[in-house]
Amino acid sequence: MSRVVVIGSGLAGLVAANRLADGGADVVLLSKGIGGLQLGQGTVDVLGYTPERVTNPIKAVTKVDKGHPYAAIGAQGVLTALSYLKELVPDLLVGDPEANYHLPTAVGALRPTCLAQPSMLAGNLKAGSAVVVVGLRRLKDFQPELVAGNLARTELPDGGRVSARAINVDAVAREGEIDSSGLVFANAFDDPAFRARFAAMLAPQLNDGEIVALPAVIGLKDRQAHQDLSTQLGHPIFEIPLPPPSVAGLRLNQALNARAQAAGVRMVSGVRTVGFTADGDRIRSVRNATVPAEREYRADAFVLATGGFEAGALSMDSYGTVTETLFGLPLVGAENTPLIHGDYWGGEQPIFRVGVAVDPQMRVLGNGQPVYANLRAAGDLIAGSSRWSEKSGDGIAAASAVLAADSILKEL
Amino acid sequence: MRKLAVDVVVIGGGSTGAGVVRDVAMRGYSTVLLERADLGQGTTGRFHGLLHSGGRYVVSDPLSATECAQENAILSRIQAGAVEMTGGYFVTGPDDDPSFADKFLAGAAATGVPAQEIPVAEALRNEPRLNRGIKRAIEVLDGTVDGWQLVWGAANSARHYGAQILTYHKVTKIDTVDGHVAAVHCTDLKNGEDVVIETGFVLNCAGPWAGQIAAMAGAHPVDVIPGRGIMVAMSHRLVNRVVNRCIYPADGDILVPVHTVSIIGTTDVKVDDPDNLAIEANEVQQMFDAGEVLVPGFRKARALHAWAGARPLIKDNRVAATDTRHMSRGMAVIDHTTRDGLDGMLTIGGGKLTTYRLMAEHIVDAMCEKLGEKRVCRTADEDMPVEGAGPNYVVTHRLHDREHDRLDDQIICECELMSRKMFTDALAEQPKGTFDDLRRQLRLGMGPCQGGFCSMRATGIALASEHIDIERATELLRLFLKNRWIGLWPILHGEQLRQTALDNWIFAGTLDIEHLPAAESEVVL
Repeated sequence: MSRVVVIGSGLAGLVAANRLADGGADVVLLSKGIGGLQLGQGTVDVLGYTPERVTNPIKAVTKVDKGHPYAAIGAQGVLTALSYLKELVPDLLVGDPEANYHLPTAVGALRPTCLAQPSMLAGNLKAGSAVVVVGLRRLKDFQPELVAGNLARTELPDGGRVSARAINVDAVAREGEIDSSGLVFANAFDDPAFRARFAAMLAPQLNDGEIVALPAVIGLKDRQAHQDLSTQLGHPIFEIPLPPPSVAGLRLNQALNARAQAAGVRMVSGVRTVGFTADGDRIRSVRNATVPAEREYRADAFVLATGGFEAGALSMDSYGTVTETLFGLPLVGAENTPLIHGDYWGGEQPIFRVGVAVDPQMRVLGNGQPVYANLRAAGDLIAGSSRWSEKSGDGIAAASAVLAADSILKEL
Repeated sequence: MRKLAVDVVVIGGGSTGAGVVRDVAMRGYSTVLLERADLGQGTTGRFHGLLHSGGRYVVSDPLSATECAQENAILSRIQAGAVEMTGGYFVTGPDDDPSFADKFLAGAAATGVPAQEIPVAEALRNEPRLNRGIKRAIEVLDGTVDGWQLVWGAANSARHYGAQILTYHKVTKIDTVDGHVAAVHCTDLKNGEDVVIETGFVLNCAGPWAGQIAAMAGAHPVDVIPGRGIMVAMSHRLVNRVVNRCIYPADGDILVPVHTVSIIGTTDVKVDDPDNLAIEANEVQQMFDAGEVLVPGFRKARALHAWAGARPLIKDNRVAATDTRHMSRGMAVIDHTTRDGLDGMLTIGGGKLTTYRLMAEHIVDAMCEKLGEKRVCRTADEDMPVEGAGPNYVVTHRLHDREHDRLDDQIICECELMSRKMFTDALAEQPKGTFDDLRRQLRLGMGPCQGGFCSMRATGIALASEHIDIERATELLRLFLKNRWIGLWPILHGEQLRQTALDNWIFAGTLDIEHLPAAESEVVL
């Protein structure tokens, strides 16, 4: 059986590993940590702003500029990836590739996204809805007054507004602790007894017809926790994702990891991949910085899904030189000046568009040719998009991972 | 329109103005201080945090050296909570002239600056990151000082003696009658109200802006030549003592451990406008290179933030010979009577933060003399304690505090260990303040994440406190992020660039902060 090494366990790495294993490859997934999904919002963005708000993401994908990752990926690449993702985690992601949801964030903005978790869907609000935003006094990363205040003054994409008010509940997730993280609350909400106590505290404070907004901490393992809580309250509820550590992201991470393990992917995590050997135009192996001696992983093909600047896959030194930190791959966009400008609200920073160029098979290009015939890139490493601004990171990651995996499977 | 009447108006809320208003109030005059922004927002908040031992000047400026040594001893006593007694080294770098250390030791002996040469091995043992190639090391009594704590200490002491401190009050006009100062007009920037203050005396302590103030009273132009210096804060303490190059004063010759960071400074470039201070890329590179000489590997350390300050250098050919007793090479009191035929106004320029108390003593002495009154300066005799601080500042104080209240309160800024109560207390005292005003008191957003995690929490808590509404809260958050960026982008690389990418994922990615609605009408922050 042919061996493929995938490096990185964010959305791109996990999707690539699953897809390759499903296709019959012997897959090793190397990751230095637990991946980036728990840093994100736990939904799948395809395209949210161009910079106008996008209602049909697939349609918008077909109109991106040359040089954008979606130009190489194409709408069909995105559609294939989205249906594959829904297959991978059927109870966790729902949505229509041709219609974005617009879901409230933890500052009360309405964020476009394509696939979302069932526990978030009641947040796709209709004009005239009444929302009560419920804060947990011991959880500092969700400030209900801020969410409600901004939500109430926001025009919905289809016009009209909602009303919103904020309340706080002093639920104790861990006895004696006043500064509990979202994860501590999520573990508490997995417990039906805690949910019952919480519902009893909250229910008397709700008005008829209100939709209840809660921080996305309603259970980590129990996929029915939100439904159970909603039933107990007698109100629709929806979750709002929090800054890291994001329980919603962690759910996705755990589900994709479990799926990969079930598909036979071998996971090697907690060790940094630091070097490689090449044989002409092919990568022969990569090396992990294990102690006491480095460990070599040989393979027929490699998928580089190490991420962008946030992951350390791209880096700029004090002289302003930008590098891809594992293979030293050629980068596009780094020649632009200035790479960083001084106007915070004045548009994207060119530095964050820097990355590798790829062909439609996701092979990394240098001077228009594949740098290594068996090296493909997926995810944030690919140049040409300011993902957090346009809300496109997950779609690019999943689609590039599927394309990379499928083209490898064809060759093996 | 509001009307006030006081004996003395002090203009400028930096260290000089705060020291002066305290001195004036302690001598029994009624007084008001006017500051166009927040206290310590100009030069005082934009320096490297060094409390000079005097060592820097023992060769180049002996009088300043002696003044610094004396004031260092006074400030570390009367404002103990604002001062950390780090100690300092003057080290001869691998390529520096070792004979300068001999001049240094001779100068120190002559100027009364305590200094003692120690074996290089001892210096390296105490500061293991120092360049192993240093050739000589001299130990001095350098300390570090929080410029904001220093200013608030003086301002609070002044209030205790009856002074009024009016921040966000911008001076617009100074009235004179028959060649004598009669009133100062200002605008309360928070509500647009005009304020007129009748007074017999104006003390102009506006630092690099002193020329603009003097011109309002119709004085001949005062030539303020702002000297821009940039500073770069590096995460963590690369050194625990102040480390100076033992050379004639030059750019990038000092590394100062302050709070949770180490600050390298500085440059000196003449500029025209103290309100427009660029942080030039070549000067940042110069600081990194200078850091490498003191601490090898400096370029791989994490640069957090940069800022530029304007030195209040006054060059004035009209200063009369009779004024020179009020002058040292570092500071100058300009008497507008002899110079401009204008009674009731003195301008002070030059000087340094370490000698701020002495500068105040000089200018208030000069005022008393002009008024024909004998009132003695007592500012060196009375302490200004900082609440909760021990005898002197120690860097672990917040760890200590949080250890006590961690079961009762939340930590809102993990980088700087700021609790919820610290934030709500400061907000209650300054409900119209911006988050930057609160930051200067609390260090909110000054750590490695530069506001990435704490600023959303702070915004929500401020809103829940009901001191502000949702539009103001949202605009304050926007302004805070914008202002953090001013000091971030010029130094952005390595781990801080990586942090910025994470912060962007949070603010733009998860929160979609770019698409919050705009305020319906302009919010005055």
